[in-house]
Amino acid sequence: MSASIGFGFVAACAVLSALFVVRVKNLVHAALWLGVTLIATAGLYAMLDASFLAGVQVLLYVGGVSVLMIFGVMITRKHDGLVVEAESTSGPRGVFAAVGLFAVLATSIVMTPELDGAVAVETVTARHLGRSLLVDHVLAFEVVSLLLLIAIIGAVVLARRRDHGVERKELPAPRREEVSS
Amino acid sequence: MTLSHCLILASALFAIGVYGVLTRKQVIAILISVELMANAANLVFIAFGRYRVPSAVGAAPGQLFALFSLALTVAEVAVGLALVILLYRSYGDTRVGLASELKS
Amino acid sequence: MSGLVHGAQYAVMIVSSLLAVIAIGIWFERKFAGRMQSRLGPTIVGPVGLLQPLADVVKLLQKEDIVPKDADRALFDLAPLLAVLFSLGAAAVVPFSPTAVAADLDIGVLFILAIGALMVIPTFAAGWASNNKFALLGGMRAVAQSVSYAVPLVLVVMVPVILSGSMRVSEIVTFQSEHHWFAVWPIIPGLPAFALFFIAMLAESNRIPFDIPEAESELVAGITTEYTGAKFVLFYMAEYVHTLVGSAVGAALFLGGWDGPFKPGLHWMVLKTLLLFTAVYWVRWTLLRFRSDQLMDLCWKRLVPIAVGLVFLAAAWVQFVPGAR
Repeated sequence: MSASIGFGFVAACAVLSALFVVRVKNLVHAALWLGVTLIATAGLYAMLDASFLAGVQVLLYVGGVSVLMIFGVMITRKHDGLVVEAESTSGPRGVFAAVGLFAVLATSIVMTPELDGAVAVETVTARHLGRSLLVDHVLAFEVVSLLLLIAIIGAVVLARRRDHGVERKELPAPRREEVSS
Repeated sequence: MTLSHCLILASALFAIGVYGVLTRKQVIAILISVELMANAANLVFIAFGRYRVPSAVGAAPGQLFALFSLALTVAEVAVGLALVILLYRSYGDTRVGLASELKS
Repeated sequence: MSGLVHGAQYAVMIVSSLLAVIAIGIWFERKFAGRMQSRLGPTIVGPVGLLQPLADVVKLLQKEDIVPKDADRALFDLAPLLAVLFSLGAAAVVPFSPTAVAADLDIGVLFILAIGALMVIPTFAAGWASNNKFALLGGMRAVAQSVSYAVPLVLVVMVPVILSGSMRVSEIVTFQSEHHWFAVWPIIPGLPAFALFFIAMLAESNRIPFDIPEAESELVAGITTEYTGAKFVLFYMAEYVHTLVGSAVGAALFLGGWDGPFKPGLHWMVLKTLLLFTAVYWVRWTLLRFRSDQLMDLCWKRLVPIAVGLVFLAAAWVQFVPGAR
């Protein structure tokens, strides 16, 4: 019973902060509300017996991705973080699409028979995950490590400041050599 | 706290992310909304891993899948933000629709 | 439910003790610093200056609470609260005695790392919300420093985890009480891991020589520039708490926690934590501050490769030395 109340509370937090993420005008605030949503989701993971993933979620997402977002916002603002962001004209269309999607998904979930037969699961610990990663799925593990390396190198190369490259849209006007005879 | 509760919650989060992607004008805001969607997908993996996988299959593939998804999402965010920085350098702003020179 | 109540009791005890230690710690640091600099330190307020921390806090609390114009009010007010909250968080999983743990999580070590990573948010929020270029600069440097030093911290904390085979901090301490303290044996990688942990912990709590984010002579007061009165007290306290909790974590992971040569118990844990805390002060009043780029250089070019090597060594130790686990 207390588990359901806890679940309901955390779920409500997650949904509420997600709504803030997509509606708040100030981008720094939006990134921070994303952090709140991710922490709420980590709480949900912990309640679903995925404690290792909950810890990793907080460590990576909140401690990493949120910070990245915030830096992204800061670097791309001219003087302040306040973004006067006019919502696009497709506001009502966006709402319709989102609500429609949710309606379709929720209906199909509710209408699926036998979805709620709980299966007894042995608690997954970090030990199980580690063994599984390094023994059963070692190829995928290595590929993901390679991918992360590529992503790091790619991001650094992309964002590097090039002094001689063309960064601005207007190219400098070609110099005219004046030949004096 | 059943599987359908978790799934409905995940679809709500996903739908909110979709709303964000469709309505926001700043590229970083869209990136943030994509994060929401990825987060909802991870929740689905873990919920299924908890409620449907018999223990004989081995360490919850749901959690494993979510772990990989997490790693991939982090990589995607890093590259995406690098691109945003490039966009800012070229145009001085990061509104959607700026990088449209290929349009005739 | 009783586990929750039990845990809550311990949590209250631990938090109150930490705060009490901070109060005395402030006095101790100033006396210690004074003696290191051939002067007396506080002597006027109370016997031997013992009431100095109280006087400091009262002075700061009665200052006017100034909020800069155009500051991001919500973040500005929230940042010091979050800073204290997240610094205290890691103390929840540290066993102060064989029975006194607030929450003996299965993923204890991961929890400590995660809460430490969360500290980035209030640091950044303070710098950003102050609407002040110095604060912003301090905030960005603080975030870069915090995120960078999290990498060797995570790697080095894996050494006791590998050596003891568990992420549960109480099991790590129990393992050390049955075998040897990790900083003592295996001497490689134990001792370098402990040294690296100490350095990374200093960097994560923004202590000298890593206190560029709040460098008084560099950036006015860095992220705390625009903070006055009670909020400044909270930041000040958060830094102390972070250091103290980091020392407790180090004592538990590397120095054997509540274990001791005779009569293991709470007193050993307290002794070791205070020892590390004093070592932090020692370093603070002895060394000069690192420049931002020197700091980054140290982290990425020296600490990270060493930390990776230490993880390998720990794994090799467990694998090849018979009876190691």
